[in-house]
Amino acid sequence: MRGLPTVLITVVPEESALMRPPRALYPVGFRLGCSLGGPGQDTLQRRVLLDALNLFLGPPDPGKIREMRYPESGGA
Amino acid sequence: MLMSRRCVPFTPFDGTLSESMVALVSNAGVHLKSQQPFNPEGDNSLRVVPGDVKGAELMVTHSHYDHADADRDINCVFPIDRLREFRQEGLIGGLGDKHVGFGYSLNLKETYEVTAPQVADAIERSKADLVVLTAG
Repeated sequence: MRGLPTVLITVVPEESALMRPPRALYPVGFRLGCSLGGPGQDTLQRRVLLDALNLFLGPPDPGKIREMRYPESGGA
Repeated sequence: MLMSRRCVPFTPFDGTLSESMVALVSNAGVHLKSQQPFNPEGDNSLRVVPGDVKGAELMVTHSHYDHADADRDINCVFPIDRLREFRQEGLIGGLGDKHVGFGYSLNLKETYEVTAPQVADAIERSKADLVVLTAG
């Protein structure tokens, strides 16, 4: 069976950790409904998405959730 | 394939983003405006949306998180327009033929045994190399 590489963007890291995601990004301070940033925050959304995609590269760390901070989020 | 609940379901990736097709899967309740909305009180069905869908064609049906911001900009929870930009800029190879949305359910057994395999099947048919998962 062929698997598919996945990456999760989560704002509930404690719950997500229970599922042992193969790759996961937690934008610190972001909330449900704005897991990549607020409406119209295209640049921020791009940063979060690209950081998540970059988890496909580099040394794998299965089961760990990478925390990232985005000062420009203003608490998205 | 049943897996031990202690396993991490990890599939390696040794390609490049610029040559990879990316699909989105979300349980934020995202679907086409033309599709039947999810039952906000519990729904294990999924909605398959075209790979080239525009954000303006999508909406959220979900009653268990505040999606007011996603209603204004679907990319808050389903970054389809951002992915399209990445494709245009050559950061990714392209978008998968399909993306998948599903909604809220407390029936975790059915989610695990029925919905998840359906999602996996739809994505496998989407020619995606990579999948980005989002919630609300």
